[in-house]
Amino acid sequence: MTLLDLIDVHRTHGAGETAVHALRGVCLAVDPGELVAVMGPSGSGKSTLLNLAGGLDSPTSGQVVVEGQVLAGLPRRRLAALRRRRIGYVFQNLNLLPSLTAVENVALPLELDGVGVRGARRLALASLDTVGLTDQAARFPDELSGGQQQRVAIARALVGDRRLVLTDEPTGALDSETGEAVLRVLRTRIDAGAGGILVTHEARHAAWADRVVFLRDGAVVDASGPLPTADQLLGAS
Amino acid sequence: MSIRHSILALLRREPMHGYQLRAAFEASTGGTWPLNIGQIYTTLGRLERDGFVRPLPETESGQRPYLLTTAGESELVAWFDTPVERAGRPRDEMAIKLALALTTPKVDIPAVIQRQRTATMRVLQEYTRVKPAAECPEELPWLLVLDALLFQAEAEIRWLDHCEARLARHPVQHPAPPSGSTAPAPATVASVKRS
Ligand SMILES: Nc1ncnc2c1ncn2[C@@H]1O[C@H](COP(=O)(O)OP(=O)(O)OP(=O)(O)O)[C@@H](O)[C@H]1O
Ligand SMILES: [Mg+2]
Repeated sequence: MTLLDLIDVHRTHGAGETAVHALRGVCLAVDPGELVAVMGPSGSGKSTLLNLAGGLDSPTSGQVVVEGQVLAGLPRRRLAALRRRRIGYVFQNLNLLPSLTAVENVALPLELDGVGVRGARRLALASLDTVGLTDQAARFPDELSGGQQQRVAIARALVGDRRLVLTDEPTGALDSETGEAVLRVLRTRIDAGAGGILVTHEARHAAWADRVVFLRDGAVVDASGPLPTADQLLGAS
Repeated sequence: MSIRHSILALLRREPMHGYQLRAAFEASTGGTWPLNIGQIYTTLGRLERDGFVRPLPETESGQRPYLLTTAGESELVAWFDTPVERAGRPRDEMAIKLALALTTPKVDIPAVIQRQRTATMRVLQEYTRVKPAAECPEELPWLLVLDALLFQAEAEIRWLDHCEARLARHPVQHPAPPSGSTAPAPATVASVKRS
């Protein structure tokens, strides 16, 4: 089943003269095992698209379907539960809670979902380990570097068995080596059956995706299709 | 690419004959720049003439290994000590194409940019796809070569993004066609909203 389906999605902020058409008729599907990169200039609608896909915002028209469920049709509680259990989200501004340590931040979505404290902590530590932050687990966000905070946010998005991973510039504050390491973690999760969207300005990072979608002024202008096979590489260089 | 210096570098490991040099070069660079054996022997001939390598007696299989001389060693050191020049690179066809697109009527510039971006993006995806899953030491030289290709392709995409944004601020107006006909829509890049 398609994990995420955006069907002719429009999102307009405001009305009349000052209306901003953040998205104009976007269609996008993400299957299990698929990572889709979204690229485009600042203001082209990338974060808006991600917010709609994650149920944090609703479309002005069109439909957002996650694992077969139309988000607009879900009662608030069901939507909240779906977001906690099934969707991992890395926000452009990270949204870590300053009063919680790294491991507590990562464990939070699990605990909110009823997982016991110890089980949640164990899963959170495992997730921090995949992004190389085991040693920083007990630190508070303001005791971490920007790149380390970013990796905590990624660990939080991947903790447990979230199937849909939505990431907004998850490598923004990372040096290129650490950024690549994080993408490998994300890629591994996707290859194990999750699906994801990676919003990024960096083509080198978008290249980890199966498809790359280019947004301009709220519309998809082009998409690089899925690759055929890897063995054509040397012919292409 | 300097075949001369690559050969000197490989010979610093141990004396090698032509086929060994070719295999060693391709192992280090992941076969990205295949060398033919003729190129290698021609280069070895010139290096011998310049006193940088010296032939050893033929092996039983009839192959002649070459040894790095002291002069060759100095030449190699100088190569590693000197930055590679950026000037004199082959002409950048894409830059020329875009520059001409600005002054040529009836060219859809945004489409030219987008097609190039999609094509280069695909190459980037292909390079990324063949990155070794685990980084073992033997893969490291090849990984560095692959990274070089990746960063170059990325640089082109960044440059295309930059061109697009620049053109959005300065829409191209081609000279009006002879009076009487209706002017074609100016070739502009869809305006980029600023957040
Ligand atoms: N709450 C809002 N009210 C009004 N306009 C908004 C709102 N949120 C976003 N916009 C506008 O919608 C457009 C798309 O914004 P969005 O945040 O999706 O861009 P983006 O592609 O993520 O940009 P960036 O690369 O800078 O993060 C922008 O023009 C923005 O100003
Ligand atoms: Mg954004």
